[in-house]
Amino acid sequence: MLKVFGFVTRNPSLTHDEYRAGHVGYHNSFGRRLNNIRGYLLNVRSNTHLNDTFDEQVVDQLTRGEPIDFDEQWDGWGQLMFDSKEHYIAGRTPARDRADANGLQDDEMAGRVGGDFDYLYAGSPFQFHVDEHVAKPVIRPERKLFKLAQFVKRTADLEPDLFRAYWTGRYATLISQLPGLTGLVFNLRTSLDVMTEFFPADAEGFTSQGIERRNHFYSSWDGIIEYWLDDPAMFIDERRSGQHSQTITEMEANLFDRVFYREVDETVAVLPNRNLAPDFYHR
Amino acid sequence: MYKVFAFLKRNTALLSHDEYRAGHVGFHCCNSRRLKNLRGYLVNIWANEDLRAKLGDQYDAISFNEPEAFTDYWDGFPEVYFDDRESWTRAGTPEPTRATEDGLSIDEDWTFDDVRFLFDPVESVSDESTAGEFHSHHLHMEEHLFVPVSRPEHKITKVIQFFRRAPTLSTDAFQAKMLEDYAAIASQLPGLLGYVVNFQDENMDAAIEGYYPADSWRFSEAGRAHRAEFSNLFDGATEMHFESIEDFIKAMNSPEHQQLTQLERSLFDALWYVEVDENLIVIPNRDPAPGFYFR
Repeated sequence: MLKVFGFVTRNPSLTHDEYRAGHVGYHNSFGRRLNNIRGYLLNVRSNTHLNDTFDEQVVDQLTRGEPIDFDEQWDGWGQLMFDSKEHYIAGRTPARDRADANGLQDDEMAGRVGGDFDYLYAGSPFQFHVDEHVAKPVIRPERKLFKLAQFVKRTADLEPDLFRAYWTGRYATLISQLPGLTGLVFNLRTSLDVMTEFFPADAEGFTSQGIERRNHFYSSWDGIIEYWLDDPAMFIDERRSGQHSQTITEMEANLFDRVFYREVDETVAVLPNRNLAPDFYHR
Repeated sequence: MYKVFAFLKRNTALLSHDEYRAGHVGFHCCNSRRLKNLRGYLVNIWANEDLRAKLGDQYDAISFNEPEAFTDYWDGFPEVYFDDRESWTRAGTPEPTRATEDGLSIDEDWTFDDVRFLFDPVESVSDESTAGEFHSHHLHMEEHLFVPVSRPEHKITKVIQFFRRAPTLSTDAFQAKMLEDYAAIASQLPGLLGYVVNFQDENMDAAIEGYYPADSWRFSEAGRAHRAEFSNLFDGATEMHFESIEDFIKAMNSPEHQQLTQLERSLFDALWYVEVDENLIVIPNRDPAPGFYFR
């Protein structure tokens, strides 16, 4: 599948919680209608700092090189899944999903994702493709799961291909064995251009200032691990002092120049369907 | 939780079943997923190939007294979850969820105007009061969760078991036997990813009083007769989730199901199954709502 992340900073006219309502409410309602969309999640940065959930010492123990200005650069990120890049680009065309007096009609507002970009965000989303490795397929119960995002930056002297091999190899295997997990997905940012054609040519993201802003954000991490936790306390205890804790920490020292975490609140706007699409409209 | 099933038939003059899918799951849900204090929202649409075609003779072995042309009454049924009845009846209250140049605002374009084209309209040209009204069967359901639903990241099979109480049993006796004897075994069927029993509220108006205006066609004599005809067809519906239709068939052939067969003849006056395609609009959150806007 083609998996695209889009990190966004809220418009300065909105508080973080107002941004939530605007993104989860109006914006996601249109985004879930994009043609041929196969999955759509939104992750909003939690109002609760990890230090307030876990022991501050544990968070410090697991963190290295966290950028000071990291949270100023994003409020949330959307995750889009499509079968192909062609479908992803064509997602912005009108959707035939509105009933009126003449039957089912095209609605251009779906392709425009509600047309609220300028008021919801500050500048363009940082939109990029990720190379995904599903270490533990996600199972969602009917309640809000604790979702953790681990941002990592590859050690400078480790070749990218080797990094990917090691990261998704023994490291992923060890992490996936930690208790309390109901899903574990590794995402490595790639250089594939997923902004051209998806955003208008005059979008802020294509200006020199927009490119600089985006590259600054990208400079602090190369990959994101998504953790869905049924029991975060059990998970963090095992990660801190469990059987493989020392081994994982040593691997991280070799793999990562930076490693830091954030809790996010996940909205499932379209439950990802990793099987073949049915031959009818389905979300 | 306060749970409502709303059985809806498409506007057959304008839409095919697959066009209805797109109109309901697409544009309509774009608006309805913003209902205030919504805690869960699924849209179930009957599968394009029915179970009788998939199961052959076995379908007749597991069902009896199915109402004739049952799926002609409806194309889909949303199920919505709210914390309580009051939240449900006030769900139409607009909330600021749209970012505009004035900050977060109420969406002036929020609309349910599509319902008269999407759903089966009430035909009464000479009576202005029915203009824009559509047939619907909103039913309050009392839910009993036996196997909490867990959803993987792919489309799973969902089968609805409709049942009508045997007239020899009182409602209380029936519900007790259903929960204590039948569902206790049925929830052990192999391959289940979810098993939820729902009893229909005996008050047919429970879900629509206070939700629709008192002068709605639904409350007219003709409206009541229309709704009663449908709601009398069954007393409840059980949601069964499986990985695949093959797993459903295996469950129906399992020793656990053999134990149920005799119970079914004593408990039910009618029993039948419909496979539906579940669209997950808002994943139900059975924990207390967080203190911020969340879907």
